[in-house]
Amino acid sequence: MNWAIWAERLRVPICAALLLGAWQLVYALGVVPEKYFPSIPTIATAFWAMLNDGTVLSAWAVTFGRATVGLIGAALLGVALAIISDLSPVLSRGIRYISDVLQPIPPAAFVPMAVFMLGLGTKLYAFVIILVTIWPPYLNGVAALAGVGSVQLNTGRMFGLTNWQLLWQVKLPAALPEIFTGIRYAATISLIAVIVAEMLAGRDGIGFMIFKKAFALRTPEVFGLMFLVGLNGVLLNGLVNLLRQGLTGWHIKMMERPE
Amino acid sequence: MTALLSTSAVGKHYGSGAARMPIIDGLELSIAKGEFVSLVGPSGCGKTTLLMCLAGLLAPSEGQVRFNGQLVTAPPIGLSVVFQDYSRSLLPWKSNLDNVLFGMRRVQLSGPEKRARAVEILAAVGLSGFEAHYPWQVSGGMQQRVAIARGIAAQSQLLLLDEPLAAVDAQTRADMQDLLLDLAKRFNQTCVLVTHDVEEAVYMANRVLVLGPRPTKVVREVIVDLPMPRDQLATREDPAFLHARHEVMALIRGMRQGKALA
Repeated sequence: MNWAIWAERLRVPICAALLLGAWQLVYALGVVPEKYFPSIPTIATAFWAMLNDGTVLSAWAVTFGRATVGLIGAALLGVALAIISDLSPVLSRGIRYISDVLQPIPPAAFVPMAVFMLGLGTKLYAFVIILVTIWPPYLNGVAALAGVGSVQLNTGRMFGLTNWQLLWQVKLPAALPEIFTGIRYAATISLIAVIVAEMLAGRDGIGFMIFKKAFALRTPEVFGLMFLVGLNGVLLNGLVNLLRQGLTGWHIKMMERPE
Repeated sequence: MTALLSTSAVGKHYGSGAARMPIIDGLELSIAKGEFVSLVGPSGCGKTTLLMCLAGLLAPSEGQVRFNGQLVTAPPIGLSVVFQDYSRSLLPWKSNLDNVLFGMRRVQLSGPEKRARAVEILAAVGLSGFEAHYPWQVSGGMQQRVAIARGIAAQSQLLLLDEPLAAVDAQTRADMQDLLLDLAKRFNQTCVLVTHDVEEAVYMANRVLVLGPRPTKVVREVIVDLPMPRDQLATREDPAFLHARHEVMALIRGMRQGKALA
């Protein structure tokens, strides 16, 4: 019996069991009043009730949809900006200044003004998510494109590639693995941005639901929804990984090969 | 007989004013069809810069490079460079076969014809059965053979070999030298080999051009009067080989000592 292999196979259930066990231990010790720190069965029951009345599922679909569409938009725009930066040093400097100014602004700070300007609909979420999610794909894209080796570029030129063909056939494929590192990071940011925006916009989605339940002091529901948000991260990362394997499977295999 | 590749007073420098750094100055050479010419020189003399200029990958600051009589301003069809750093020159997201096909993008053949030709050339470099492998799944020597196959497949007449064997181990190197000579003959390739290995330069070539220290130019031509095909044992013991090797080595040692004393 090889314990290492079993531990590897069962790592998700083991981690989940440890987390839930620790939670129950804190609960049983009574460190935090039960009102603010309910037991796992209480949370599960409350979550089950929300699932059955349909409110969670529709809110989840809205939130996860926004995060996914926002991520796709931010990734495409970020890579497009990176390509523009790679083609033009002047524009590159300009975009870099803009990113330096915009990056430290948290999503929560964008929401109030954006609500006035864009209303509570799709435009609001597109604006907020893209503004905070675009930077990892952009920055990783710039670094990755700049890092494509001169030998690879000379090889392309030697076979008669134009600059445009060089970009599509050599630079982008070579840069894609590093760009995906940025997109995976962006996936998490996109989820955070959606929840924050929904809390402040106050109309729909999981973020709004958490706020509502928190003000009503429905602690079990709040924790249940928080677990759901965490699972969203696993799900979105899984989707990004599928795409990464499809587009840069060669790189994953290359990194995993035995020396 | 007209030259396949020739230069007239080629110069290359970087920077200007006080920071002007001359690399090549007044370099003349002429390579005829079917020749195998080695370029050797002291380390850091600008061999790679010269090769980039010959390939049309770098514009010379002065003078001209001509390939088949045409002025070289961009990498011309019929000229392939085999880079020293094969692992960076092969595209890791393409299989070995697709890497060879990438080299054939300017070749006027149909898809299936290109494929057949690529498979044939991969077989000629001893890589039958490795078409679907990625470059990083095969050894260094095999990767360089993929790169050589790709160079030949691009309907090449002239192979510019930039220290192609510097990164492979010694035993593989001897085999690859013979493979290169064999391929040059089989596929009618004229070859220019840049190397820092004097033995290799003499063993492979009909003619060795010795480059001077920076700013470099051709300072001596050494004819290697040895029959083809070469043989790793007999050729290297031939008095003509030893004589040519001695002449080239003495020149380069002289330049290095001159530099050390200066």
